[in-house]
Amino acid sequence: MLYYKDFIFAFISTVGFSVLFNVPKKSIFYAGLTGGIGWTIYMYTKDITISSTFSVFLASILVGILGEIFARVDKKPVTTFVIPGIVPLVPGYTIYLSMVNLINQDFNTAAKFGTEAVFTSGAISVAIIFVTSVAKIMKR
Amino acid sequence: MTQEEKKSILRIALYAGEILLKNGGETYRTEETIDTICKSKGLKHVNSFVTPTGIFVSDDRLDGISFIKRIKGRTINLSKISEVNNFARRFVEEDISEKEAILELRKIDKERKYKKSIRTFFTGLASAFFALLFGGGATDFILAFLISIIAIKVNWEIEKLSNTSFLANATSGALISFLALCSKSIGFGTSIDMIIVGSIMPLVPGVALTNGLRDFISGDLIAGTSRVAEAILIAISIAVGVGTVLKLWIHLFGGTF
Repeated sequence: MLYYKDFIFAFISTVGFSVLFNVPKKSIFYAGLTGGIGWTIYMYTKDITISSTFSVFLASILVGILGEIFARVDKKPVTTFVIPGIVPLVPGYTIYLSMVNLINQDFNTAAKFGTEAVFTSGAISVAIIFVTSVAKIMKR
Repeated sequence: MTQEEKKSILRIALYAGEILLKNGGETYRTEETIDTICKSKGLKHVNSFVTPTGIFVSDDRLDGISFIKRIKGRTINLSKISEVNNFARRFVEEDISEKEAILELRKIDKERKYKKSIRTFFTGLASAFFALLFGGGATDFILAFLISIIAIKVNWEIEKLSNTSFLANATSGALISFLALCSKSIGFGTSIDMIIVGSIMPLVPGVALTNGLRDFISGDLIAGTSRVAEAILIAISIAVGVGTVLKLWIHLFGGTF
């Protein structure tokens, strides 16, 4: 139970973002759960594998699966849970850092953060698309 | 089916697509919704082409009638997406008249889910817990909460006045770093980085970049490129705001961070 703090923080910030994104009241708990679990898994796999991109990929697959499950339980589109769920994983701060370094003419650091941002969001989008495609095939 | 009826079905589909796209729906979802609405009423040859800035709907068997809708602003409003989804499902299954359908869509379009004060409060909460998530302390938590509330308020107010989001993002970025530097220099708050990380979280385009790449990978190339470009532009505008204030501060008062 080393990660309970991570879970709680990620849960509450996902809930906050859910309100900002106008998620319906009944679905907010599920959305928060998706975000919290996603982040906890990310932290855990990052600790054991060190690779940040791989951990993001695994966590996003889990977020996608949880989104599909909650969409069936709550009768809402999958996006309602996936968008808040990926918020803690998404590389918003990294893109920002990349641009700040670009402005400060520190091109090496900018390139480092920039590629990291593209890799991270690429991993997230591949994972989400992977889950939705499999879910679509299984539904048929 | 008369020409008028066909036109009104296209109009309903276009309106549904517009609401989806304006509120952060994915490109493929918008296209799918438009196509299913049209196909359910017998318009089998409808093509829709959706980009983040405009929707094109055309029926090549209907004297080449086509509709274009320009989309100006985009936010994320997931409850509207889910409502339009429900509406499309009902429209396909049941027999809803055109007037009712337009009225219902207008109701969805106008609806406000949460009060502004509640949304502001939760934005602050999200930012504050983000600061903790990245390893900030208790004072950073409080500061991120207050600063992000001020920043998002200012962002919304400027967005009301100006059409370009560049000004709003740059101003709130500048405000965030200014407030963070001020609080640090009076001895409150442990790490400027953590305060800034938390506070800029609601503005930063992480979700936009990921959605862009999602579109890109699913084959909506134009939508994908423009969403990625938008995300980069937002990041630049925030960085311009933050960077300007940091540079000025160091120049005037020396390096306090």
